[in-house]
Amino acid sequence: MTPILQFIAIIAVIVGTLFSLVGILGYFRLPDVYTRLHATGKVGIFGVVLLLVATVAVTPLSIGKGLILIALLLVAGPVASHAIASAAYRIGIPMTGKRDDLQQELHSEPGRKGKQRIKP
Amino acid sequence: MMPYTRLLIPLWLFYMLLTNNWQLSNMVMGMVVAGWVAWLLRPSERKIVWRTVPGALAAAVYYLGILLVDLAQSGWQVVRIILFNQPINPGIIAIPSGCDSELGTALSAHAITVTPGEMVVEINEAGVMYTHCLEVDKAAEHMERAQKMRAELLQRIFI
Repeated sequence: MTPILQFIAIIAVIVGTLFSLVGILGYFRLPDVYTRLHATGKVGIFGVVLLLVATVAVTPLSIGKGLILIALLLVAGPVASHAIASAAYRIGIPMTGKRDDLQQELHSEPGRKGKQRIKP
Repeated sequence: MMPYTRLLIPLWLFYMLLTNNWQLSNMVMGMVVAGWVAWLLRPSERKIVWRTVPGALAAAVYYLGILLVDLAQSGWQVVRIILFNQPINPGIIAIPSGCDSELGTALSAHAITVTPGEMVVEINEAGVMYTHCLEVDKAAEHMERAQKMRAELLQRIFI
């Protein structure tokens, strides 16, 4: 293993771990499920992606396999966040904040009504 | 036959990269699996206009570059909000996708959702993306501009 790869791995492990920790911290600090998804669903994924970069650099895991895993994570992560947020909205989980353009849209479509939102 | 071949090659490469075993038996196995998946996906008969391919590739590289810069900037912004307990103003805003195709709208929604601080909650039939943002006021002005550029690039990529 060359010193450059070692250096890349160390930086990726440190930054990746920090991102993962920030994701967990965001889960506790942010006020509702929608804002928490920004922290856990995406900042957390950066952490995992950077840890994968470190794994590719210092272990026998091939670059091709690592790149495909990173690509799959970057595709699947946002889809999961969207699915959870959409489901949460439809079952009426409260949202912090005043502006909500979607409320009007859902209530103007017959058959697609979500529950009445309760402001926390 | 051509659409199947076009899909078969990237699928086979995907399998080979994932397994990382370049023995002949695994290559044949990869071809069988790729063929099966291609048959399941039933690709469309759309013809490739080779004249537009270099422009589309350049647009794709530019699109990925913009996405990476967006990821880094927004990621840092969300980290600052969480670590330093900065005040937030969350909400859901409507952003028209400006794309003619469903694929374009889906890719735009993915680009928005993969960026920390922005997340598409719902898309209607007209292609309007209802996006949850941590900072509604800042996001509202910059996101429509960003989406216009994204739609133009996607148009060039998938022309």
